[in-house]
Amino acid sequence: MYDDGKLTTIFLFLPPALVLFTIFVIWPILNATNFSFYKWSGYGELTNFVGMQNFQRLANHSIFHQSIWNSVKLVLVSLLIQIPLALTMALLIYKKTSVNTAFRLIFFAPYILAEVATGLIWSFIFDGDYGVTAQITQALGIDPIYILADKNYAFLTIITVIIWKYFGYHMMIFIAALQAVPHDLLEAAEIDGASPWRIVWYVKIPLIAHAIKLSAFFAIVGALQVFDIIIPLTNGGPSNSTHSIVSYLYYFGLVQLNVGYGSAVGVVLFLLCIVTAFSYKRFAIDKGGEL
Amino acid sequence: MAALEYINIKKCFGPVTVLPDISLTIPHGSFTVFVGPSGCGKSTLLRLTAGLEDVTAGVLKIDGEDVTDKQASARGIAMVFQSYALYPHMTLADNIGFALKMAGLPKAEIRRKVESAAEVLQLTPLLARKPGELSGGQRQRVAIGRAIVREPKVFLFDEPLSNLDAALRTQMRVELAQLHKRLGATMIYVTHDQVEAMTLADRIVVLNKGVIEQTGTPMELYTRPQTLFVAGFIGSPKMNLFSGKVAAAAGAHTFGVRPEHIDVSENGGEWRGEVRFVERLGSDTFLHVEVPEIGLIIVRMDGTSTYSGGSTIGLTPRAGFTHRFNEQGAAI
Ligand SMILES: Nc1ncnc2c1ncn2[C@@H]1O[C@H](COP(=O)(O)OP(=O)(O)OP(=O)(O)O)[C@@H](O)[C@H]1O
Ligand SMILES: [Mg+2]
Repeated sequence: MYDDGKLTTIFLFLPPALVLFTIFVIWPILNATNFSFYKWSGYGELTNFVGMQNFQRLANHSIFHQSIWNSVKLVLVSLLIQIPLALTMALLIYKKTSVNTAFRLIFFAPYILAEVATGLIWSFIFDGDYGVTAQITQALGIDPIYILADKNYAFLTIITVIIWKYFGYHMMIFIAALQAVPHDLLEAAEIDGASPWRIVWYVKIPLIAHAIKLSAFFAIVGALQVFDIIIPLTNGGPSNSTHSIVSYLYYFGLVQLNVGYGSAVGVVLFLLCIVTAFSYKRFAIDKGGEL
Repeated sequence: MAALEYINIKKCFGPVTVLPDISLTIPHGSFTVFVGPSGCGKSTLLRLTAGLEDVTAGVLKIDGEDVTDKQASARGIAMVFQSYALYPHMTLADNIGFALKMAGLPKAEIRRKVESAAEVLQLTPLLARKPGELSGGQRQRVAIGRAIVREPKVFLFDEPLSNLDAALRTQMRVELAQLHKRLGATMIYVTHDQVEAMTLADRIVVLNKGVIEQTGTPMELYTRPQTLFVAGFIGSPKMNLFSGKVAAAAGAHTFGVRPEHIDVSENGGEWRGEVRFVERLGSDTFLHVEVPEIGLIIVRMDGTSTYSGGSTIGLTPRAGFTHRFNEQGAAI
């Protein structure tokens, strides 16, 4: 049984949380699910019920396949390149010195920058006509290069910008975790004859495993939601080769006034996130102890 | 040959000098205790020995070999930390065997050594557990086990018992003493608890503000403290120390006598005073006696003593058990 205090707490704090959760999470999801069965521009009555048609179209749309593949690539890059990079940097600069503080600031700064501003800055850098790239090619006296318009390089560029922007965030999580590792454990390992590299491998990394798992989770969810970097950089181009799932939703759902279709994409994305989150919890967290 | 030699060791942290000039030799197989008040530099001296801190100046030798510039792992020492410093993600077996694994020993040999250490410390049934699932005393044993398997030349302990409750502390003290006897290894033990120091040590080094006040056996320190500081630090309750006319009459700046070395009489006595307060511990009774020309004197009597507050009694320091110190605090 709950004692009085607990009951009061529940009555006091649960309703606001529940109401907010319902208004901002449950209700939109239910709505979107409903829309996804209609052909609907976003204005006027929902009249044109089309059943599973939106989903069928989605399943057959090669650009959607490409955008899923791109999102998968972003997830993989986040896990296999971004997190290890962040961990390496964190291990190098986690100790409290003034030089390290300066480095931390530099690496963390991109994360604070607004996404759209990031996109604009980098699109200026990569601009083959007027940007930094243009100045370089002119100085070298070679033909202009349009990296963002090149199908082979456009997405690679997006990946680079995303790593640049977000690795500092993960680095900060790791730094906080590393600073919490008891100092005498490291000294014990030193006396036990572990080399600095082995101390990292056998002591530091296991002791911050919870932070790494948490970080990886944020990285996966974040990668699935990438959107506002892509729009200013490539707007999904060239020839729709650089869409993520969300930018695909935005472009083919909202911009083209196909809200019913966009909702179907949203439902797929939602399911994808849920499945990922639960399987991550199942395989990475439950197996290896608590988060 | 000495197990350890500290030759003019100096240690500064930035502008702060913690150990100005330490010279000390520690014999093979001894159980040496560094004792002193908080902040006097005991841990620093131990950490210098371990190689966890660099000396500012001076030379440190272990087994005759200069190890001043050697890494911690190459000095042949093992250390037991106050916090135990067990690796929380490893099983006890892995904790104890970690140093051996780092040294590249074959798995079978590691297992054999870990098992025999666990046997000694009664940890065998717990080897598959992780440190989080152990009691404080068991963790302490694991920390000791981790030191034992390395077969070090010197064991270093930094207040290993201070996180344990009183009963467990007494038990572990006995176990440590037995361990020392069995292994015959050189052990250095840091504590600020003078009871631990007296019971464990065969040699005590008393430190005060980074300076060695006195080195000797527990009984030497107790019976012949060479400085005022040692006189006040060793022994509980503290030695009665006072200056003034009575001290001057004895030809000293400060005069000292331990509570257990004062004889009490109804009548007569060298000093007469009024019992202000009586502390009964069962085994002992401590009388707090106000003597007009001296001040408060504490007297130890056995538990059956019937004196009570308000009575006036005579006190006589036992001949041959008094201590005299000059103005600089050195024994006369
Ligand atoms: N890394 C350090 N940087 C600066 N000062 C330090 C450092 N380590 C210790 N000190 C100083 O050195 C002095 C001695 O410290 P130490 O830890 O050796 O004391 P201790 O005798 O072990 O005391 P305790 O009984 O409280 O453990 C203290 O004044 C402390 O502030
Ligand atoms: Mg200390």
